Amino acid sequence: MSEIPTHIDFRANVQAVRPEMPASVQKATARFLGTRANVVGELGEARWQQLRQAGHDIRLHTLEHLDGYLALLEQRVTEAGGHVHWARDAAEANRIVLEIAARHGVKRAVKAKSMATEEIGLNHALAEAGISVLETDLGEFIIQLAGVGPSHIIVPAVHLTKEGIARLFTEKLGVDAPADPFALAAIARRTLRQAFLEADMGISGANFLVAETGTLVIVSNEGNGRMCTTLPRLHVAVVGIDKVVPDMESLNVLLKLLPRSATGQKMSCYISFITGPRGSDGEGGPQEFHLVLLDNGRTRILQDEIARQTLLCIRCGVCLNVCPVYNHVGGHAYGFAYSGPIGAILSPQLLGGKVAGDLPFASSLCGACAEYCPVKIPIPEILIQLRRRVVEGDRVEGPSAPPVIRVAAGVGGLAFRLPWLYEFGTQVLKVAQAPLRRDGWLPALPPPVNRWTLARPFPAFAADFRQWWRSRTPAGRRKMQQRRIGAVALIAAAVGLLSWLLGRRGRQ
Amino acid sequence: MSRDTILADVRTALGRAAGAAPPPVPAAARVPPRQPGDPAAELALLLAEIKKVAGKTQVLQEGELAAALAGLVQAEEIKKATCWQTPELQALGVERLLADLGVEIVSPYADKEALAACDLGVTGVDAALPETGTLLLRGGADRPRPVSLLPRVHLALLRPEALRADLGPAFAEVKGPGYFVCVTGPSRTADIELTVTIGVHGPQALYVWVLPAR
Repeated sequence: MSEIPTHIDFRANVQAVRPEMPASVQKATARFLGTRANVVGELGEARWQQLRQAGHDIRLHTLEHLDGYLALLEQRVTEAGGHVHWARDAAEANRIVLEIAARHGVKRAVKAKSMATEEIGLNHALAEAGISVLETDLGEFIIQLAGVGPSHIIVPAVHLTKEGIARLFTEKLGVDAPADPFALAAIARRTLRQAFLEADMGISGANFLVAETGTLVIVSNEGNGRMCTTLPRLHVAVVGIDKVVPDMESLNVLLKLLPRSATGQKMSCYISFITGPRGSDGEGGPQEFHLVLLDNGRTRILQDEIARQTLLCIRCGVCLNVCPVYNHVGGHAYGFAYSGPIGAILSPQLLGGKVAGDLPFASSLCGACAEYCPVKIPIPEILIQLRRRVVEGDRVEGPSAPPVIRVAAGVGGLAFRLPWLYEFGTQVLKVAQAPLRRDGWLPALPPPVNRWTLARPFPAFAADFRQWWRSRTPAGRRKMQQRRIGAVALIAAAVGLLSWLLGRRGRQ
Repeated sequence: MSRDTILADVRTALGRAAGAAPPPVPAAARVPPRQPGDPAAELALLLAEIKKVAGKTQVLQEGELAAALAGLVQAEEIKKATCWQTPELQALGVERLLADLGVEIVSPYADKEALAACDLGVTGVDAALPETGTLLLRGGADRPRPVSLLPRVHLALLRPEALRADLGPAFAEVKGPGYFVCVTGPSRTADIELTVTIGVHGPQALYVWVLPAR
């Protein structure tokens, strides 16, 4: 899952979803929503809404002054003895990390769970340079061994059973692994403990970057985040520029929102606050600290005032948990590191409409995500905006939908504006569908509309409602009669005109 | 240079000229801090929350530390231990008490393999948050970071004076250069079939003992 996709076909991906996926994903989402409801209930609705609004305000304020906060952050990290790098895109970020690794002769790296490094395909780049990199979050470790992508942002291996994981450990780690979660976790602990001690470089992302103090904040439960940033002599963090917050006081709000929304914990087990490298030899911790600030499309996202709010995200994953679409397909269908509603708005903006233009349409616009989002991102509004961008284009990006879709959307729009055209169209389709019709369904449509019938049959056009409605009254029936005569006259006139024209052409 | 390009792109996107320092965070984006209850209730809440996240708590009276350590060494089969070197822990004589119990004392400045082989790491607590059962531990020359991370059992010794009502006041005290970590219970995961498993990478057990106020 370390590859950057070149095209995401959501519908095709959905066809590849295994039947057991929804059940295992729903087990996770139901669990998280249940524990979340408890801890949010304990705080009280009024306090929770107050925190959400404050979280939204803090994040939006930061985005609106991002240049100043980034400059302050850079200054503070540097003052604390850290090194700050700037990467415009994935290639530059990977190159920076590889250069740091090469300078220190790094052979083995350990990695804490990080969405930003997934986004840039860092594992792939490191492997190509001959550096072994081990994911250390238990779920990430499992899917790395299995060679599959994450099915959930918080519990990436939730689609795998303990029996499957036991087989995987037995095969890949050469140990006798029983199908027991505790025994499997113990095996992972032993394997990864050795890797932590031997690694030359620790790689992490960050949940927040505090501009006021130059502090990198990492939230984790297992302790692998602490291991990766404490034991190797070198720590490299790759973090999106959207992760900045103004000051520590802001975290007082955001750290109340994040664990409660993500896993339904009041507080995650470990939150590391890292300001530069170690202060002294005795303290332990890395001798060198590098922060790679990643743009990779984020400055483009900032351009639009509505869609900009995508960058408020604190990656809690609650929008996945409440999304009816995500709950039925799981994370793989979204084709990239980010899945669910946040993936549907973030991926198309990071990767562009040509690659991920399918995703804003992978939603029923029910709005549950916006109700739950701890920083109040108006996800449905952004979805609609991005749908418009895909079809019509806007000042951020031109249209990316195939021309035929755009023409069809234009015709559709016209038909909905002109009732007579709509009615005429339905009658035409009713006749035109005849050769394709089987038992009241259209099992196969010609391209490009076959995208629908690849997945399921299309109901045959019936279009009898208007006729039925009019036939209820004598006046309506009279009007129908008149229309029918009118239509016959029109068709007769058209046929007459056509034959006259053809006749004239024949004579010439 | 990518730095200048990115900052320029940010400014263009926001429609702003260079050089403006960010204004203060709007007051509306702050929430009023949590109000503490009376000290006894706060301590009771802290201990209750720590228990909820699988931590083990004990309130010690003056002179009970030696006996408590003896109980811990036996219960957790402690053979090797390492400690913070703060004046506080040195005054308590934690290392000496453990050595008297036959425990091998490993220097917290030893290499990481030696620290990983320890059964017990003993630390102080710089701040504690009752609402969530959270302990805040600073790093420093006398507070080596691996002590609370590598040994399989973590013992945190807490004075009631360290309690703070909320994250805000605790952060205000510790922010600035240097490292700190918030610890809420022992290490845990639910990554395999959502089964909660304690002790995946960090300590498998967390003991929090409250010492008498000074």
